[in-house]
Amino acid sequence: MSLTQALSTALTGLTAAQTALSVTAGNIANAQTPGYVRKQAVQVETAFGATGIGVSITEINRVLDQFIQQQLRTESSGAAYADLSANFYQQIQSVYGQPGSDGSLETIYNNFTTALQALTTSPDDPSTQAAVIGAAQVVAQQLNAMTDGIQSLRAQAELGISADVTAANNAIQQIAELNQRISGSTQNDATSAALEDQRDRYIAQLSQLMDIKVITNNNQVSVFTSSGVQLVGLSAAQLSFDAQGAVAAQSQWSADPSKSTLGTITLTAPNGSTTDLIASGGIHSGEIAAYLQMRDQVLVQAQNQLDQFAAAMSSALSDRHTDGTAVTSGAQNGFTIDTAPLLDGNSITINYTDTATNTPHTLTLVRTDDSTALPLSNDATLDPNDTVVGIDFSSATPILTQISAALAGTGMTASLSGTTLQILDDGAADTVNVDSVSSTTTVTSLSAGTPQLPFFLDNNQPYSGANTGAGPQSVGFAGRISVNPALIDDPSALVSFQPGTAAADDTRPQFIFNQMTASALQYSPSSGIGSTTAPFTGSLGSYLQHIISQQGQAATDANNLKQGQDVVLNSLQQRFNANSGVNIDEEMTNLLNLQNEYAANARVMSAVKDMISALLQM
Amino acid sequence: MTVSSVGSVSSSMLQSILDMRSQLDDLQRQLGTGEKSDTYSGLGLGAGLTVSLNAQLAALNSYGDTIGLVTTRIGVASTALQQMASYASEVKSSMLSSPFDPDDTGQTTTQKIATADLGSFLGLLNTQVGNRYIFSGQATDQPSVDTMDHILNGNGAQAGLKQVILERNEADLGADGLGRLAITAPTTTSVSLAETPNGTASPFGLKLAAVTSNLTGATVTGPGGSPPAISVDITGTPADGQTIKFQFNLPDGTSDSITLEAVSGTPVSPNQFVVGPTPDATASNLKAALTSALQTFGQTTLSAASAVAASDNFFDNPPQRVNGAPPSSSTALVDGTPADTVTWYTGSNTTGSARSTATAKIDQSITVSYGTQANEQGIRKALQNIATAAAVTYSPTDPNAAARNQALCVRLNDALSAPPGTQSIQSIQTDLSNAQSAMTAAAARQQQTANTLTDLLQKVSTVPPEQVGAQILALQTSLQASLQTAAMLSQISLINYLPA
Repeated sequence: MSLTQALSTALTGLTAAQTALSVTAGNIANAQTPGYVRKQAVQVETAFGATGIGVSITEINRVLDQFIQQQLRTESSGAAYADLSANFYQQIQSVYGQPGSDGSLETIYNNFTTALQALTTSPDDPSTQAAVIGAAQVVAQQLNAMTDGIQSLRAQAELGISADVTAANNAIQQIAELNQRISGSTQNDATSAALEDQRDRYIAQLSQLMDIKVITNNNQVSVFTSSGVQLVGLSAAQLSFDAQGAVAAQSQWSADPSKSTLGTITLTAPNGSTTDLIASGGIHSGEIAAYLQMRDQVLVQAQNQLDQFAAAMSSALSDRHTDGTAVTSGAQNGFTIDTAPLLDGNSITINYTDTATNTPHTLTLVRTDDSTALPLSNDATLDPNDTVVGIDFSSATPILTQISAALAGTGMTASLSGTTLQILDDGAADTVNVDSVSSTTTVTSLSAGTPQLPFFLDNNQPYSGANTGAGPQSVGFAGRISVNPALIDDPSALVSFQPGTAAADDTRPQFIFNQMTASALQYSPSSGIGSTTAPFTGSLGSYLQHIISQQGQAATDANNLKQGQDVVLNSLQQRFNANSGVNIDEEMTNLLNLQNEYAANARVMSAVKDMISALLQM
Repeated sequence: MTVSSVGSVSSSMLQSILDMRSQLDDLQRQLGTGEKSDTYSGLGLGAGLTVSLNAQLAALNSYGDTIGLVTTRIGVASTALQQMASYASEVKSSMLSSPFDPDDTGQTTTQKIATADLGSFLGLLNTQVGNRYIFSGQATDQPSVDTMDHILNGNGAQAGLKQVILERNEADLGADGLGRLAITAPTTTSVSLAETPNGTASPFGLKLAAVTSNLTGATVTGPGGSPPAISVDITGTPADGQTIKFQFNLPDGTSDSITLEAVSGTPVSPNQFVVGPTPDATASNLKAALTSALQTFGQTTLSAASAVAASDNFFDNPPQRVNGAPPSSSTALVDGTPADTVTWYTGSNTTGSARSTATAKIDQSITVSYGTQANEQGIRKALQNIATAAAVTYSPTDPNAAARNQALCVRLNDALSAPPGTQSIQSIQTDLSNAQSAMTAAAARQQQTANTLTDLLQKVSTVPPEQVGAQILALQTSLQASLQTAAMLSQISLINYLPA
């Protein structure tokens, strides 16, 4: 043992104190740096020779609770999702306007019914007629404007996904790069700790965009989507999104790329294989999931509700129900019905009873001019209990052949004379009875002698609920609905339903008023109101009420979810900060200790020096 | 929103400060607008309720507007009807009180009143509310009636009331003025009064109703046979003062009679016949007296009844005209056409009740009907009778004029008071006032409902400023406290306590 030994030991103490001091200084300097994790110098006792004892700093550690960090990542996905959803719902709310204000759909619709009420009292007054047309135009324009609003939100979501995918790519890229750099450093020094901090920041960024799983192995991380697709391993996967510039009500995402008219997120793995992340359900949370949810579900449903409203309003005024004429042919009984007035989407309804079981059935034949829409599903009509068969009027196969095929097995027979369709039961065999045959047709003339009239048009074409391969005519109808220009030119057609109608004849005004206010109409369950087995039935006013309360409720729920998530995230963040954040007081205390440590070591050195001097002076 | 920690101020504290800030902003908005929220979601469960309340209030509002409008229409119609009824009663009372005083135009004072009232009556029937002719049924864009000049005097080829009366008079009187009857003497001792063959087949002229006689030595048979005939066989000598009475049905549905009295001396009145020395002479005298009496009857009572019937024909829908020329030999009525007859009523005809030509929905389930048509029974009868009075003229030299006027006055007077069971102007007024009371009741009820609904709507969608004020104060206090605490916390750091 020698004095120089003590000197060396004191030196290690000084060095250790200096290093620790620099760590503390770094902590204090980075107290406000986002994502900075408090560093700790790990100090160990060292021995040299037989008696030599010293101290050294072996590594710089990050003070990190990985459990909390993992939770924080999960919750920040959830919070980003909830936050964005709430934000979107709030924007959707602005589409519906301020409650009771002049710009809200309810007020505008109420103004329309008020004008109609006035028309029933003064059918002969041109200014009252003009007021009805004016109010109806405002309703149509409001529906158009609301459609624009909803579709621009969808476009916004599409752009949002695009921006998020770019940000996610950047994060994935950076994580992969940092992985490599960290793998290069062999020990846990300050540099690698800083790099890990950076990598964690990118992971946090990525977790806000989508829900991810992070697996740490030594100093390397692998990032997976929560469904298990690898985003970062040894190298980075590449995300891509084919954003569509124009988003309309008809634009729909589909797992089938040939049908999809909206962008999809494709993951290209380092080995070149690709996965459609939307189709495979790879993203459940985070901003991207919220955007997808809005683009493909919430906003589509909101649009659907408006479309159903527009469709019900239009059909209620233009659809005419005609009963078939009873006929007898020998022992066979049945009905005839004219097929000439059927437009694409119009239908013939056959009610028949299977006499063996005494079960009533309904068969609906729907005129369909687009063969790609065939076969129609039973949901093509609003009646939950009918069997729907699309009859292609444009096909080379005669419609009688198609109808007979539809009747096959029921015992009924069909024949066609000109445009008159005859449906007969099986006569003496008596296994089936035809109870009624009726048609629903769209009136296209303002003066057809019926109270029904083509009040609203779809791009100046009749709205008949046609089915096409791209979907039913109702999709996006709210954006295209307009008041019949012929009616705008001649508002007296609101009253005059045939030549010679008296000026104050209120037949048609009463019909319109009744349909718009009191009649129980049916609405497709695709709007989220009512179900397939029990479609919502009610007046337009009550449907509107349902739409608005449903949307209002959804927005409130989204906001509540957001607030709940905020609380969870904040408390996690706080716990994380308490553990990994820089506490100035603590660092100050460390500083004092280190100062003392340094002074003490220096004192040892000076004592050794004194002792050596004493030796030399002997 | 994620908030990173700032110093020793916790992120949740910062979050709540931010929340309070945004609450304060929202309360400020509430104070300014008085509205609880500017979105439906902000109304919470009240969102759907607001929509339905607003819809109900809008409906009540439009019912209110309708009631206001219909009240005006009914008010105007009632006033007009009131005035029409007063014209009818003016003409009616004048008929009873005024003397027969035709001037050089051939019209009496009563007739002049009737002419003036007819003009006013027609004017009232063309009353408009806004641009709406209220007595035209559903054809509210058409005046209800033609002008008085056209109605009375015709319009070019279209015959007016006067011409119709004239033709009908000729048809009823027949060529010989005996009212389509024939007086013959089948034997020297008998007199026969029979309907002429073309008379009996037609609606025109007199129809034999009955004959009663207390003449001694006279056998009276009939009316019977085809055509119906009455036969008086004189076999003896009727006593002085004994009578025979012939009863007739007249074209206007009334009946009247001619009574001939047997006198032995010189007749002092036209309705007496001299009992001759032989049945032959008596029969001959009876025949002469009957002929003369029937001629006078034709010029007076029958002509008056004919005018009434003609007027009824003219105001019928379609108008009825004497078929064929000359009218004196016509045997039937025929529908007039717009080409040959003035159509007095120019509004619309409805198969149902005139009231249903205008309906208004004044409540969820209440509809009132308040349409009126000038050709409704009540209005038409009054108009028709006033027009008849105005259309007839008298020649100052006509000895039968006074009697004819008398017969006409009696008839019109009767007709102007609507018999029980038929519609009168008053019954139309009653209908309208019933509609009015239904509306008044509905309006009162709706006012109450609207008040309740408005209250509820305000509770759901608005906030009282006092409440917002109180909330702002409370929030202000806690926001201040939080900020203060945050400020204080940031000061508590070891740095501040270490020696420099």
